[in-house]
Amino acid sequence: MEISTRTSNDIHIVGIVGSLDSTTAPAAQKALEPVLASAKNVALDFTQLDYISSAGLRVLLGAAKHLRASGGTLRMFGLNQSVREVFEISGFSAILSVYPSEAEAVAAK
Amino acid sequence: MSVAADADGVGKVNAAFTDFAQKYDLPAGVRRSFNVALDELLANVLSHGMPGAGAGSLTFEVEPDKERLTVTLIDDGPPFDPFSEAAPDITLSVEDRAIGGLGIHLVRKLMDEVSYERRDGRNVVVLKKDLGEGN
Repeated sequence: MEISTRTSNDIHIVGIVGSLDSTTAPAAQKALEPVLASAKNVALDFTQLDYISSAGLRVLLGAAKHLRASGGTLRMFGLNQSVREVFEISGFSAILSVYPSEAEAVAAK
Repeated sequence: MSVAADADGVGKVNAAFTDFAQKYDLPAGVRRSFNVALDELLANVLSHGMPGAGAGSLTFEVEPDKERLTVTLIDDGPPFDPFSEAAPDITLSVEDRAIGGLGIHLVRKLMDEVSYERRDGRNVVVLKKDLGEGN
């Protein structure tokens, strides 16, 4: 799993490459901490996310709660079919903001 | 294959499964569903299972078939049926959401068939998924 960050339109975009599972979740959590500490609006780029398990969902939930508590937002985009299926089964597609593309995620209020 | 039942073992089983999936040209959707299911079940074995560090072992068998894929996970930890847990409430808001039980819920939904039995002092979990179109 690899993580990269960039900024667009005042939104911090964090790209996650590989998988978010029980093996990689601790490193992802650690990499997100400085972003969550400084950014208000964060978008997760899942274009190259292969699959996500509940350990990965736990990281997303923690990030969403943190940003919501500080008046910020968490968006995500670029989900493949498998990641979308996990979001739907878990009910996460109803509680997290998912967009089809980066442009739409960045433009969202 | 057999691996030690530790955090390293989870990654090894998933890496071995990904190799297998490439060799047999499994559809990406099927491969990813099994990657998720294996991660959930192995993480579960680690948290419920092993009495002392390095004490246990995990065996992982894959049966390729034209129509469906069967993966069997065997561990020698204390009796534990992962499918005995109740399904979580997935309708709660972000603030109220707890994550417990979600992993096994994912396994049930991503697979076409799951089963558990205690056999010869071991936990045996069998996962099956059809390789049909749309996967």
